[in-house]
Amino acid sequence: MNLEKMVQEELDMDMTPMIDCVFLLMIFFVLVIDLSQKNLEDLILPMAEFQEPDEEPPENRPILNVLQNGTVIYSSKVYYDPAQHGKNYAPIKQLLGDIRRIGLANKTLTLVDKDVGGATAKVMDEPILIRADKWTEWHYVGEIMKQCSQPDIAFWKVQLALSQEDKETGKKSKSLTRGQ
Amino acid sequence: MSALDDAQEEAKADMTPMIDVVFLMIIFFICIEFKVLESKLDAFLPTDKGSQSTVVEPEEQLSIKIHVESKGSKMKVAGTSQAQWQPFTPGVNPNTNRPLRFALTGHKVKWEVGPKPIYTLQALKDELVRIANDPASQIPDKKTGGQKLMSCVIEAYPGAMYADVAATNDAANAAGFEEVNFGGGLGPGK
Repeated sequence: MNLEKMVQEELDMDMTPMIDCVFLLMIFFVLVIDLSQKNLEDLILPMAEFQEPDEEPPENRPILNVLQNGTVIYSSKVYYDPAQHGKNYAPIKQLLGDIRRIGLANKTLTLVDKDVGGATAKVMDEPILIRADKWTEWHYVGEIMKQCSQPDIAFWKVQLALSQEDKETGKKSKSLTRGQ
Repeated sequence: MSALDDAQEEAKADMTPMIDVVFLMIIFFICIEFKVLESKLDAFLPTDKGSQSTVVEPEEQLSIKIHVESKGSKMKVAGTSQAQWQPFTPGVNPNTNRPLRFALTGHKVKWEVGPKPIYTLQALKDELVRIANDPASQIPDKKTGGQKLMSCVIEAYPGAMYADVAATNDAANAAGFEEVNFGGGLGPGK
């Protein structure tokens, strides 16, 4: 009788911590996925054959999104809208200046000295990622780059986001099938 | 009786770690599906502009121009086959409050590598590989004193799309060009 009780108890107790763990893991991953996609707008990026996988992105890298009509979005907030601002690109410069100022104040961004043609200048050490839709006019991306290269902004490491799969046509990059 | 009990217990107790592992694997695979498969192209901006006092001798560089042959027509994407796509009407997505997206069909560009016109991406890649392997493309490297491959500059003419420039940058990288610059924006397309 005593032995039977023990066996039963053992069988009942096994399930609870396991389900507990599984639920905790599920909640953890769901939250992590939500947080990491906060800065990414729903865009279709162009596909490229030769590319570096963005596997370990720098933690503090700012991400600018550019919609098809040229609207610039940072952290889900619209900063520049061509319909409203037209050829006045000051809001983009203002945004980059704010990212730089806040980043430096919080120590999430750092400045380094770089040798530029004999003189040293302070430039940003962290890269900045530009995510533009496949069918965004290049002109808008070029304008952001122009603002990034201003000496008082100095985000000189600009990265252009690409995708390993063209979601429009379903075509996949060859570099994926090569197992890289 | 005791042996039978033992056997029963063993058979039941074996299940727990297996279910555990299976659940973990399910979660793992679900998470991989959600992962955004993105990659990046590094485009270092010239740092020696605007903040220098000395005049630097201009280096020889390869110019790749992108001209738009036909702008293409805007279509609403429905499915991965272009035959199913519908003409596009502008609007706003009520869920995200962002403008509806479109795709261009029949968008065609022409490249000019130096003076040579090129019409397909594959031909562009081949031409860039040829130039990269040409000994005449080597220029003196001022920093190391050795030789290096000249840089190239992508000049996008009005109407060029992000996809065109990204594909060109991609082809240049594939050919071995390490320094890729971008010409200033030449204005919006009409």
